[in-house]
Amino acid sequence: MLIVHCPVCGVEGDETDFHCGGQAHIRRPASHDPHNITDEEQRDYLFMRFNPKGLHFERWRCDRGCGKWFHAARDTASLEFKGYYGITELPPKELQAQATGQWAEFFKARAAETGATRPAKKAAKTSAKKASKK
Amino acid sequence: MSGRPYRLPESAAQGSRIDRSKTVSFSFDGKNLTGFAGDTVASAVLASGRKVFGRSFKYHRPRGVIGLGSEEMNALVAVGEAGRKEPNLRATQVELYNGLVATSQNRWPSLEFDVGIVNNYLSRLFPSGFYYKTFMWPRSFWESVYEPIIRNAAGLGEAAREHDPDTYEQMHVHVDVLVVGGGVAGIAAAEAAAASGKRVMLADENAVLGGVADISVGSIDGKPQGDWVKAKAAQFAKAGNVHVLTRTTVVGHYHHNYVLAAERVADHEPSLLDKGAPRHRLWKIRAGQVIVASGALERPIAFANNDRPGIMMASATRGIVDRYATAPGMNGVIFTNNDDAYLTALKLHEAGVGVARIIDVRANASSELAEAARKAGLQVQTGAAIAGIETSGGGKEITGVKVAPYSKSRGRVVNEEKVACDFVAVSGGFNPVVHLWCHNAGKLKFDETIQSFRPDRHNDPIMVAGAANGTFDLAGCLEEGYATGEAAAKAVGGKTGKLTKAAAPGGGAGSVEAIWFAPATGKYNEGNKHFIDFQNDVTAADLELAQREGYESVEHTKRYTTLGMATDQGKTSNINGLGVISDATGKKIPEIGTTTFRPPYTPYSFGSIAGTKKGELFLPVRRTSIYDWHIARGATWEPVGQWRRAYCYPTGGENKKDAINREILAVRNKVGLLDASTLGKIEIKGPDAGKFLDLVYTNVFSSLKVGKCRYGLMMNEMGFLMDDGVTVRLGEDHFLMHTTSGGADRIAQWLEEWLQTEWTTLKVFVTPVTEQWAQFAIAGPKARKVLQKLDGDIDFSEDAFEFMSYREGTLAGYPVRVFRISFSGELSYEIATPSNFGRGLWDTLMEAGASEGIEPYGTEALHVLRAEKGFIVIGDETDGTVTPYDVNMGWAVSKKKEDFIGKRSLSQSFLASEGRKQLVGLETKDPNDVLPDGAYAVAEVKPQPPMKMIGQVTSSYWSPTLERSIAMALIEGGLSKMGETVSFPLEGGKVVEAKIVSPVFLDPEGKRQDV
Amino acid sequence: MSDPVFNSALAHAADHDGAKDLSIAMREISDRGMIDLRGEASSSKFKQAAKSVLGLDLPVKPRTSVSKGNITVFWLSVDQWLINCPRGGHHKLLADLTKALDGMHSLAVDVSDMRAIIRLEGEHVREVLMKGSSIDFTLPEYKAGLVRRLVFAEIAALVHIVSDKPDTVDIYVFRSYADYTWKWLKATAKPGAVIGLFSKAD
Repeated sequence: MLIVHCPVCGVEGDETDFHCGGQAHIRRPASHDPHNITDEEQRDYLFMRFNPKGLHFERWRCDRGCGKWFHAARDTASLEFKGYYGITELPPKELQAQATGQWAEFFKARAAETGATRPAKKAAKTSAKKASKK
Repeated sequence: MSGRPYRLPESAAQGSRIDRSKTVSFSFDGKNLTGFAGDTVASAVLASGRKVFGRSFKYHRPRGVIGLGSEEMNALVAVGEAGRKEPNLRATQVELYNGLVATSQNRWPSLEFDVGIVNNYLSRLFPSGFYYKTFMWPRSFWESVYEPIIRNAAGLGEAAREHDPDTYEQMHVHVDVLVVGGGVAGIAAAEAAAASGKRVMLADENAVLGGVADISVGSIDGKPQGDWVKAKAAQFAKAGNVHVLTRTTVVGHYHHNYVLAAERVADHEPSLLDKGAPRHRLWKIRAGQVIVASGALERPIAFANNDRPGIMMASATRGIVDRYATAPGMNGVIFTNNDDAYLTALKLHEAGVGVARIIDVRANASSELAEAARKAGLQVQTGAAIAGIETSGGGKEITGVKVAPYSKSRGRVVNEEKVACDFVAVSGGFNPVVHLWCHNAGKLKFDETIQSFRPDRHNDPIMVAGAANGTFDLAGCLEEGYATGEAAAKAVGGKTGKLTKAAAPGGGAGSVEAIWFAPATGKYNEGNKHFIDFQNDVTAADLELAQREGYESVEHTKRYTTLGMATDQGKTSNINGLGVISDATGKKIPEIGTTTFRPPYTPYSFGSIAGTKKGELFLPVRRTSIYDWHIARGATWEPVGQWRRAYCYPTGGENKKDAINREILAVRNKVGLLDASTLGKIEIKGPDAGKFLDLVYTNVFSSLKVGKCRYGLMMNEMGFLMDDGVTVRLGEDHFLMHTTSGGADRIAQWLEEWLQTEWTTLKVFVTPVTEQWAQFAIAGPKARKVLQKLDGDIDFSEDAFEFMSYREGTLAGYPVRVFRISFSGELSYEIATPSNFGRGLWDTLMEAGASEGIEPYGTEALHVLRAEKGFIVIGDETDGTVTPYDVNMGWAVSKKKEDFIGKRSLSQSFLASEGRKQLVGLETKDPNDVLPDGAYAVAEVKPQPPMKMIGQVTSSYWSPTLERSIAMALIEGGLSKMGETVSFPLEGGKVVEAKIVSPVFLDPEGKRQDV
Repeated sequence: MSDPVFNSALAHAADHDGAKDLSIAMREISDRGMIDLRGEASSSKFKQAAKSVLGLDLPVKPRTSVSKGNITVFWLSVDQWLINCPRGGHHKLLADLTKALDGMHSLAVDVSDMRAIIRLEGEHVREVLMKGSSIDFTLPEYKAGLVRRLVFAEIAALVHIVSDKPDTVDIYVFRSYADYTWKWLKATAKPGAVIGLFSKAD
């Protein structure tokens, strides 16, 4: 039972209070150019996902709190949340820098685009250790 | 003392846990016995002179008590009767109370004479992997012959078959520091952590704190350890920031320091149940820091027939003497490889129990304790081991042991000596209890000094102290306890508090020499079983066999031999097993590694897992505002998600079928009333609301006129249908969406997700309002007439209120929203009123309709009515792989819109290809044949499968309107097969033939609803 | 013509005005009206319009509430509030709000009948809540005025701490779950099941 933190309303709770929406930053081809989408592009959009051991970027929803979606960076091996950022943002630079494999390539490609989504200024971060609670 | 029973005379030196002034009556296997307040079932039964508690798992060998607490793996008993019976309890943990009923397990017909013992004599036929090897053939025998026999013969206790009358509950708690184990280290850790002012929880599985402090060497601050324990327990009780849980076993450690602990609230005192106490309580603890101070468990030594009743762990032996004034016999032999067992010898001697000999595998034993034993006149034989056990009474009584010289790698025993005794106390060293450490991937390292594993790395905020860390001396336990307590408090932001640390003299852990196997007399492995895992009847020979057969990985050996499985989870067997494997393979134990310790540490009840979720609270049930009326009217229920919807209303001795037919005809001929309150309702508003709906529906909504309704289809991104319903335009930028009952929550979240994550610039608000409204469908040719009888400001006349439009106003004084829509094909209105008015309006409508013959109709009538009209139901006609084109609803898929959810997927090659299944109607050749739901259509009927399947029935009913059966089906290329006949071979050999027709069976022009 | 018949969510429970023999006091509250308000918290125009009708500033701090007179507004999300007012008065309040917010991106909906309210009172309230919820109700921030959505006894709920010392807590559940919640509370708040979490011995 993970502890998840919502960067929107600041609530912290059991993962059952949240909903994990899978891999983050998947681009919907039809929202960009509905007329020119190959079958392969549509297939990749629907079905192809990263499955890293280590740092992963996911969408989560504050299911029993403010109801808002947000992004989280989570280590799939240690299960530690490394940071949280907005649903319309890319990860802050320091988290992008920690990405490996497919994610590292992905962020490199996104940075090269013109008019790219800007990374979050800094990630919200809380620890499960509750050091700040009292 | 002499002779049975084995209760020792009253003395200040022993019996610390019992109160001899309070006699307690109980029964064991139907025999009435007495014990004292404070006894366990184990101590009281032993005191009565009985040694056999049960039969073993596989060989049905008689077994007695071996341990002192939760580590007990032999003496498992069932406690309680009927619904209160709980099997597989460790007799060493069950506290005695008046009237307790305990029964032994795994014996047939009785404990004294067990038929299954034949397995013991046939044991050469039962090597490890026996079941795998033998019962693989013939295959059909497995289910019918082998499995039932094995299940009867093997296994642990039997669960109660009756309803459990007791209550159970769960409790969540958040603490800064959780200390697991209330021994010396745990108490010190809790005290140190609490000094910071942080919230500390201390959980211990025993009834009182202290662990084994009362039966261990050493003093604290110059006084007996027990005095210090009592003082600290009193201190904790007064502290507002410490909560102590006794009789509570921490059973599992999970991600982010989530910890489960099982509390036995009323097991020791059933009168608490009458006051409303739960029998068990499962604690769900979230801890900032966890300190594992779970102690250590003594391990047995693998010598020949080391499972005989009367062979106990050395520490448990002195425990039952000291705590319960019960001796395991009159004259014992101590067998050890370390110094601690000498304390047991001294304790027995002090209590007046004979100690025939101390047999120590080590070449030298010169510790303070060993010297004390010699000084007390006890005979110590070093460099020796037990080579065999002599018994009488079918292994139930020990008469002596055979002792042979021992040194590592000496091999076969040649010269041996017999020592008469009636019990044996064994110590093979101590294993830190590392289970919790390992549950969430904590690592272990092998420690040569203690010849066991102890905790190493961990990703979580968790620490370990005392014997659980391999620190066996008292001073070390105190020191580690304080240190971890302080460190944990600091890690959660605690201040340094005032703490007066207690002191204990140093030293005392002593030495230990590994012994994984004590060779036996006679031919190797003949008639001699060296048990490693007592609970699963795994012997050293089994493990060696597994190595010879190539199960090299310890994980494979575990599964092949069942070592360390079941409720014991390797508490006593793990290290000994690894030792044997090490000897057999020549690999060192750290190279072999260890198997995974899984939760739970000890079993806990299903009751505590279920908590309050039983009976009427088993599942949350959702009620509409008409629920009580449905019950009064005799409705049967259809569960729709957590909702209970009225399925039909049988009256006057009707069966369900008759009731459904009557309800359908009432709607077709007169008027019916349906409780449709469960339909999802979502208000959608904003300048981009129309644009947004165009994106989520396959058809166009931005063009809908205010006050009008339109049926919409929703796909997911893969192009498959996921919901449908009627959406109403309440205002220029304001819509009310209806979803299916099951889709209400899901669709509201679906809409939010798209707005928040994809179309983030659209200005649209979405507010689910499902439960604000009670909603009824009033349907049938007389529906309008009924509504017109009631006062109100809505004109229901045909011209004023046309089909697919919406009005808001009052009806008989009730505020209402009325939608003229139809799912039955009849003249129909859906009327919504705020839920608290629902019942009132329902009663009013029933009353107004009485003269027109109004009848309530349930969900089954609703389904038949819509099927007669060929309307689909999401989830019946669709299964998550069905597109709008598959159900012949391409008309609802916009060709003009550039984009909407799922659009692009519809043109993927596999969705656009020929030969997909298409929705059609079916008319069976014999109109009285009603096809079963899900029946398969085949290309060609053959005498037996396989047959090529070309489709399946999605809905099938008897239509009282048409007086024949009707069905809908998804058939490959169905639309091009109109008029053709397809065959449905059913279970039992019957083949039903049906003609493919249009799914619209009634009123294809839609005249009935448009009047 | 008679007045419309009103049935609260727990009207069928004989003891809905006050359950007996429990470790807490418990009753249904059915005299409140509720309005769900959506709007852009970043828009001062929106906030001003709401204030002009409600007479108070919408709370913007998560999990807080603001009260004035007989109106209390709960923060539900960054763009959502629940307005709690006397039942009956909600019609006018909603009409006024709708009028004041005309032309602004917003949505105000009557949800007075959507939820049932159960009032819990007494020293054991928080303990009972923690038997059904993983939230730590002993934290200092869980004081009077706090509002929080949560999973309670497996269902979606909302908790409003009306006052503390002594505790009065309103639990809001969707109307269809009222009966289940009521029974769950009665089964759980048995006097013999009181734990006394972190309470000192006398």
